[in-house]
Amino acid sequence: MNDVPGADRRAERGPVLRKGVGIPASGWFDPRGRALGGFAFSLNRVTGLGLVFYLYLHLGVLSLLLGGERSWSDFLRLATSWAFLSLDILLIFGILYHGLNGIRVALVGSGLVADRQRALWWSLGVIGTIALIAATLHIYGSK
Amino acid sequence: MMTSAPRAARDAPRVLIVGGGGTGGALAHDLTLRGLHVTLVERGEFTSGTTGRHHGLLHSGARYAVGDQDSAIECIQENTILRAICPGSFEENDGLFVALTDEDMTYYDDFVRGCKECGIPIQELTTDEALRLEPLLNPGTKAAVRVPDGTMDAMRMPLRFFATAKHHGARLYNFMEVLDLVTGDGAVRGAVVRDHVTGTEGEVHADLVVNATGPWSEAIARMAGVDVAIQPSPGVMLAVRGRLCNMVLNRMHRSGDGDIIVPQRALSVVGTSSWTVDDPDELDVPEDHVRRMWEEGARLVPSVAQAEFRAAWSAARPLIGSGGADSGRELSRTFKAIDHAAEGVEGFVTLTGGKATTLRGMAELCGDVICAKLGVDRPCETRTFVTLPHTAFYADPERRLA
Amino acid sequence: MSSMGTRRFRVYRYKRGDPGWRFDLFVVPVTSRTTVLEALRWTQLHLDRTLALRHSCLHASCGTCGVQVDGREVLACVTPVDELGATITVEPVANIPVLTDLVVDMREFVARFPEEIATVRASEQPAGAVPPDGIGAYGRFEDCIECGLCLSACPVSATSDAYVGPAALAAAQRLLEEPRGVDPDRVLDWADDPSGAWRCHAAFECTAACPSNVRPAERIMALRGALAGRGDRA
Repeated sequence: MNDVPGADRRAERGPVLRKGVGIPASGWFDPRGRALGGFAFSLNRVTGLGLVFYLYLHLGVLSLLLGGERSWSDFLRLATSWAFLSLDILLIFGILYHGLNGIRVALVGSGLVADRQRALWWSLGVIGTIALIAATLHIYGSK
Repeated sequence: MMTSAPRAARDAPRVLIVGGGGTGGALAHDLTLRGLHVTLVERGEFTSGTTGRHHGLLHSGARYAVGDQDSAIECIQENTILRAICPGSFEENDGLFVALTDEDMTYYDDFVRGCKECGIPIQELTTDEALRLEPLLNPGTKAAVRVPDGTMDAMRMPLRFFATAKHHGARLYNFMEVLDLVTGDGAVRGAVVRDHVTGTEGEVHADLVVNATGPWSEAIARMAGVDVAIQPSPGVMLAVRGRLCNMVLNRMHRSGDGDIIVPQRALSVVGTSSWTVDDPDELDVPEDHVRRMWEEGARLVPSVAQAEFRAAWSAARPLIGSGGADSGRELSRTFKAIDHAAEGVEGFVTLTGGKATTLRGMAELCGDVICAKLGVDRPCETRTFVTLPHTAFYADPERRLA
Repeated sequence: MSSMGTRRFRVYRYKRGDPGWRFDLFVVPVTSRTTVLEALRWTQLHLDRTLALRHSCLHASCGTCGVQVDGREVLACVTPVDELGATITVEPVANIPVLTDLVVDMREFVARFPEEIATVRASEQPAGAVPPDGIGAYGRFEDCIECGLCLSACPVSATSDAYVGPAALAAAQRLLEEPRGVDPDRVLDWADDPSGAWRCHAAFECTAACPSNVRPAERIMALRGALAGRGDRA
């Protein structure tokens, strides 16, 4: 009996849908269909990338010290401007979010607090928000 | 211990099975073990016709012990065999037939006698005993009889037959739709199929074609120029959230609507009703039938009334018998293998009727008919052959069931 | 049944041999009770018989009708059209190869599971219930209906085909919770792998997507707790 037409094509590996826009890992930032945990995951990655970027930026800034007192003073003028300080607030948000969510992931991921991941996100979020507000007030207050 | 059956010899006869429900799958398994080449084509996913939709009852036959004893005996025999050849595919908690009213009680003696006549092991229980087994049962229960019902996964249990047949060389194609049968010289020689995976059409040739399409049997038979008296008879079912019972709960009366609750994982399925249609593809879900499921279900288990809705759907039974039966309930639930040579068409057999529980028995009957026609002297082996786990259909057959 | 109107369905289409995928647009009559699956089956019956759909039980018990509706993993048979917009996008689930149209090939899903899988477990029962003589304890099927929605929703599976995924890990943890004759050390050894329990990053999308209350994320965390608890292996 002849085999049915096209039967051999069934064994092939077909296309695989991935969330996102065709670039690997872009699905991490696709907001459709996400619940809280997925949002926390995406934000963790955004802040992680942001912090890595900041690290290189920071090293670049520190290298200005090699240029002597004048280049460093020029930088300090920039660093105390409103625009720059606002970016510092953003940096503090990134540090707080990534750090506190990291604690959440560690507690949940070791099986210690697996059942309460949403409650943990909100309560650590409250702590982080208070810390961020305090930092913001301190920075603007001291300007 | 699973052993491999020999695959078909090169010149063994070739059978094409049309229809991938439990019937087709069980027949593929039966014929493969007997050394025939088997190809099966199903237009959708396997069990997507009627088989996958039923409430999952592993039938003890008790429902038919008075009015349809042939069917009852078939059920209890297959019930026992299935537990042995598909271990791990059933929730084996038995079932209860429950009398709620005085009218139910008039059926009691006939019911008990009928079960004994059909060889269905039963245990008569007091109200207290029944409520200890199932605390959510209607406290107004007058009497209960324990029967060897069970719950199956309506898709995964039949899938084991597909898996086993596949590993013995059967070619099983879902998403392959028969457009027409190939006929010539008064015989059916194959089928014209459309492959929905590639979008192409072609022909498949065989020594014999089996029509195993359940309520669609009429449509396929017409392609061969014959008639089969199959009456599609749908019924509605209702799934609610919550596992309200562990045993299957049945109302003790002659068949009626909403008289069974089958537990399925964390759902409870209330069934069913019955009407007849011409086209099994166009099935309504009548609202008044669904309401009856809520009402009748709540009579067996009052908690049904507060349970959260999950789904309501219809499935068409393939009932043997001509049009003329109004509700479908009067027709027998037994099964038949029809050799259309009697109508002058060679190479074409219809296997139809039956219940989910009798899939293996149907295949044995049909396998015998087919082997006699094709001159193959091999007995049925499926009574004792332990089937592979359902996952073996997709993966390595060496996976073991815990 | 009175018709409530129509909706536009944007449906993913792919046949082997096509250069690529496309979206077909279908206008489908719906009522307040129509489910996505009913609408798709109507489409198949009346508009395009070549549309391939996976379904079987029609009541969230078999797991075959898993799809993405507007980017969200659901079982089509219990997803009312009523709650959705005027245009509804339906795609196959992600991270599993497509066979045709909305149908995925479950081989790669099943292949991720550990060697031993259990299908029947101890059942919950109402207080005071006593099983009948001859039945030691009430049993019931495991919650997992092998629908693949968890694997589709998992952001790690989006970038790694080696990761065994939530369903497989949850099934393994169930064997720790209720061994049924399986050696727990075998299960832990299987899970103790960079592509096993350690690859999860706690996104919890699997638990959010699961239609059957398996809670795979919590089970993966419990598995990791068990692995951490047993200490270093030589």
